[in-house]
Parts: sequence; C-alpha cells; structure tokens
Amino acid sequence: MKKIRLITALILGKLALLMIKLLGKGKGTSLPGRLALKISSEIIRLGALRVKKGIILVTGTNGKTTTNNMIASVLEESGYRVLINREGANLVYGIATVFVREMDIWGNRSFDYACLEIDEAAFPVVLSQVDAGCVVITNFFRDQLDRFGELDKTVGIVANALKNYKKTRLVLNGDDPLVAQLGRTTGQSSIYYGLEKYLDSHFVPSSVSEGKFCPLCGQKLDYSYYQYSQLGSYSCTGCGFSRLKPDIEGISPQFKSYSTSCLIEYSSSERIKLDVPIYGIYNLYNTLAAFATLNFLQINAQKIVDTLGKFKPATGRMEIFKYQDKSIFLHLVKNPTGFNQGLKAVLAMSENPLDLMIAINDNDADGRDISWLWDVDFEILEECQERFLSIVCSGIRAEEIALRLKYAGIRSSKLLIIKDYNCAVEMMFEGKGGGAYILATYTALWPVERIISQNAQRI
Amino acid sequence: MHREFKGTFKICHLYPDLLNLYGDQGNVAAITRRCQWRGIETELHFVNIGDMVDFSEMDFVFLGGGSDREQNLMAADLAEKKDSLWKAIEDNLPILAICGGYQLLGKYYQTIEGKIIPGLDLLDFHTIGGEKRLIGNIAVEIQLGGESHKITGFENHSGCTFLGDIEPLGIVLSGYGNNGKDQREGAQYKNVIASYLHGPLLPKNPLITDYLISRALERRGHPWNLKPLDDSLENAANEFMLGRMLG
Ligand SMILES: [Zn+2]
Repeated sequence: MKKIRLITALILGKLALLMIKLLGKGKGTSLPGRLALKISSEIIRLGALRVKKGIILVTGTNGKTTTNNMIASVLEESGYRVLINREGANLVYGIATVFVREMDIWGNRSFDYACLEIDEAAFPVVLSQVDAGCVVITNFFRDQLDRFGELDKTVGIVANALKNYKKTRLVLNGDDPLVAQLGRTTGQSSIYYGLEKYLDSHFVPSSVSEGKFCPLCGQKLDYSYYQYSQLGSYSCTGCGFSRLKPDIEGISPQFKSYSTSCLIEYSSSERIKLDVPIYGIYNLYNTLAAFATLNFLQINAQKIVDTLGKFKPATGRMEIFKYQDKSIFLHLVKNPTGFNQGLKAVLAMSENPLDLMIAINDNDADGRDISWLWDVDFEILEECQERFLSIVCSGIRAEEIALRLKYAGIRSSKLLIIKDYNCAVEMMFEGKGGGAYILATYTALWPVERIISQNAQRI
Repeated sequence: MHREFKGTFKICHLYPDLLNLYGDQGNVAAITRRCQWRGIETELHFVNIGDMVDFSEMDFVFLGGGSDREQNLMAADLAEKKDSLWKAIEDNLPILAICGGYQLLGKYYQTIEGKIIPGLDLLDFHTIGGEKRLIGNIAVEIQLGGESHKITGFENHSGCTFLGDIEPLGIVLSGYGNNGKDQREGAQYKNVIASYLHGPLLPKNPLITDYLISRALERRGHPWNLKPLDDSLENAANEFMLGRMLG
C-alpha cells in the first residue's frame, strides 16, 4: 500500500514537473513536492532510504547554498552519485520536489550521498524523516524577521531538533558562539571549523551584531577580535564558554577581488593550500565548512582542494558575467550581514567608476518586512560615493531603497528609481563604469539573472 | 522667516546595544540627517545599561524595542531613570517610543499566562499578550499639529495595547494597530509619540520627524518654522505603500 502511494505520488509529482516545464511557469521547485506529499506523506522518508552512504544536511542563515553545492561538487567529482537540492529550494516542499525529480517512478533509484540544504524553520521536519549522517551549521544571523519573530527562536528550533535526535555528527562554525554552543547543548559529537584572525580584522561590529551575550548563561561575551558580525574569538565572563582551537582551521587568509586563499590545518598538524575562485571572508567560511564535512567523509584532502579550486558559484552568489569588456557582478542579498558583505565586495572592486544597481522586492520569499534595510551599513558608501556615477534603485520597493540610501548620505541626484528590470539592467550594460555590480533580493534575482544571461556571457 | 538655531541638537538613543530590532535605528538617522540638512549641528548620545543620563539636557529621545530578554534588561535599568524621564516628559521633551519601548511606557504588560509585568507607569495604557502575532504593512491617519496625514509602516507585535485616558497617535486605515480591535494606533502625550510602526517610522514619514524637531527647538526657546526640505523621495515611498494598501 505504501509502495503504491509512493509510486502514485512520484508519477503525479513528475507530471507536475513536466507541466511546469512545458508552460515555462516558475522554477517548479515547490508545487510538485507539495502534490506528492499530499499523496504520500512519507516521500522524503522513503526517498532518503535510497541513499546508501550518507545524508548531509546543511542549515544556518547564510552560506547554505554555497556550502552545500561545494560538498556535492567534490563528492560528484570523487565519482559518487549525489542527490542535491540546488538553488535554494530548501523548504519541505522543495526537498520533496528533489526526491520527485531525482527518483524513478518506482522509487528505486539509489544514490550514494544526499546533500540537502534546509531552511532553519523546516529543519526539524526534515531531520525527523531522514537518517542524517552529518549536520552542517554555518552561522546564525537575523533573517526575514517577520517569519520567525527573533533570532533566539530560530536557534532554539535547530537546537531542540538536534537534542531529540539520535546520534549524528555536527559540523559547526566554531567562530560563531551561537552555532558553537550547539556542540554543548545538544549532546551530539561535533567537529569545529574556524578561521585564524586575519590581519584586517579591525572590524568592530555595528548594531547589526548578535551574540553580545553568552548563549549558555546569559552573561556578557568578551571578544579579543571580530572577523565579521558576531564571528570572532569570544569568551564568556560568566561560565567560561569560549572559542576553542578548531579541528579544521583556515590560516593566513588572503582576499583578492576574484579569489580567496588560505592554508588549511586539519588532522591536528597537516596543512594544505586552498585557493577558491570566489570572493570574501564569508565564502572562506563556507569553504572551511565544506572541507570539514568532506574530511569527515574521508575524502582525500588534495582532491577536496583541487575540486574546490574550480568551484562555480550558484546563481546570484557573487556570479560574474562579461558584457563586451565589462564585468557584471550579480549577488543575492537577504539580510543585513550578507548585504554588508556584498557592499564590501563592491568597494573591493578595482574598476573605477562603478555602476551599481540594487533591486529590492518584498514578496514572501524576500521577507515582507523590508525594514532590515535600515540595519545594513550603507553609510560606508557615503565617503566614496564619487566612485558611482549613479545608483539605480529597482524592484517593487525601489523608492524605499532609494530613501535608505538618501539617509545614508548619498546625494539624491545620484539616485535613480527604475522599477522595470529590463531598463535597470540596460543601465548597467550601457553605464560608463568599468564594472557593474547588481545586488538583488531573492525574487528580484531570478528575473534580473535571466535578463543578464540573455545578453552577457557567464564566466 | 527661518532663523537659525545656533545650539547643538542633542539626540539620545536609549540602549542601542540591546534594542536594534527591525531597523529602528533609522529613526535616529532621520532626526540626525534632517537637522544636518538644515545646518543644525547634532550630537548623538548612546545610553546603555548602567550609563547616567540627564534627560532635561536632551532634545530628542528614542526608545526602541527588543527581544524579551533584552526588554527585561532595559526595563530594569530604565526604572531607575524613571523620575528624570517623567520630569522631562512634563517639560515637553520630544520622545519617540516604538513597539517594546511603547509598551514599556504604560502601566503594565500582562502575559498570555496571566502574569503582570509592571511598566514604567508614565502613560495611561496597558498591554495584554496575545496568541496571534499582528504582522504586516499598516496605514494610519494621524492628527499632528492640527493637520491630518496618512502615514505607513510595518507592524510586528503580539501584545495588544489598550489606551486609557490618552490620545491615540492615529486611526488605522489598513492593518491592526494597537490591538486589532478599536482601530487605534499608538499614543501621544505632550511631545511623546508612541507607536507600533517599524519601517522605520521617521524616514518615511518626515512630517512626524519635522514635528518632533520643531517641538524640540520650541522647548529650547526657538519657536521658528523649519526650513522646508525636498521630500519627494519620502513622499514617493509613502504614497507607493498607501496606494498598495488603500487602492
Ligand atoms: Zn556563559
């Protein structure tokens, strides 16, 4: 009976996928899974049983997609058959859709590994249905507050799910106190990754930062340095909870505008050089998370760094396009921490002057409340606004982002409101800047990406 | 005639380390910029737990909201500053209190379990915890300085506030407001404006910002009209949301 239900669910789900493809409507990452789940509520559990070697779940606020794609790409390159939810379809329906798409209609096709990125809110449901060999947690920042209420709740949701789960292995960001505490509070055995203090870490957190108080006892946390946001070297003045030397540590990181490198210290004293073609400290953290996971899965370290050295980011994760001689960058923004990183990446570009476009939507997937834009440190643009000939504000809430920039000290004459994506992207193509940078929220990213990829070459 | 204000405009941001939810620091940015654009020098005072502050010296005070834990910490600290705050309120100090900060100024907060958490008891209202979170865009018609205006923001609260003998900030046109029942939003007393509107409130609604700045200057003995600014961007952002909510 279960089997018949599963087969029916798979057939219906696959038909839905086909219809969506034929009609060319949407990306079809949610509806097929939703239909299939209606018929067989066990589709995720049964699908997961077809995974032979291990299921890896990646959750946290930022970097889920990049980390998950990195892990999957190395496993695939190592010759394994991998099931993965790419492009951030990370709610329960999205995960069910992946099983619908990847399994044959008899539900028999099997895989070596499954790499699934999971939204924090969907994490308990998915965890209860699969046998996770390994759970990777990247970081906890404020994100789409109208959905969760507050960050403490999000952390609590993940912590409680893990507390009540059978034994698994956690791969934790040891530099984020909100993540590292899970090693103590969940009773699961844990591998920590982290990054050595880098020379530029003069960063002092603005009001965006979380983690001012110890997640274990509530006393104030002292920091000897910050990397970004609440990531850094912390120690609690009350209970002694502090950053430990991580099992996997990035050493001597170097950041160039198109790539990032460091030495990785692992297995106590071994070292290996890593050079990834993506920008930024947070991507280095994603890379270390992937390395730690793959090292735990006993993939050869040289194989890991070689494969990651050719890594291509997913849509809108600092993607680079070429339009004639001009580089066009596309980057997804969804919360203050990620947006601040995006702005730093813009300012790190060597091209002068620059064209900048920011597209903000407030659909459900973006978060209906966009007041988080006021927690983004746009003020760093004030001093260097001469680098931008104009800043194009686009998306449903174009006026609002223009207003935010005005109060960050950008002159009104530099702010252009162009709601239509075609016209806005055209401005980036034809702008007089040596390079163009486009930052967009989730539902603005896809139409913008489509327009760019129709006209420019993806690098 | 726009005679210039020569002193320094002192802005007090209460508990910025604790209360920085939902972009509310944009309210401080709005006051600061709109003073600066008029050539009024500003001075920003951050007051955190344990810091001393003389409210009578200030020209504007901002009090935001935080998560439960943070809210409790600030409530205990502010209780010690209550007398000085009350004197300043009676002396017409402009204050903006948002969400949790709003609730704190009232008599008490009653949790869903029925527990009574005393407020500062400065203004006549109380709040009752609700099961359902009141979340979404909101439009409100307000009366300020004898004029009527439509303002917009985003609300996100589970507490329902009921006013006693005190004026609301305005009447809800779309959204929930104080409690989702009586169509009222916020409260105002002398130069205190309390509201559930995030968004943040002041940048998008420059009328309120300028009202607070004017009242502050008046309190310092400079009762002159503020130089008008170009608010086309502010108005465009506000009108877009009004159009979406009210059609
Ligand atoms: Zn502690």
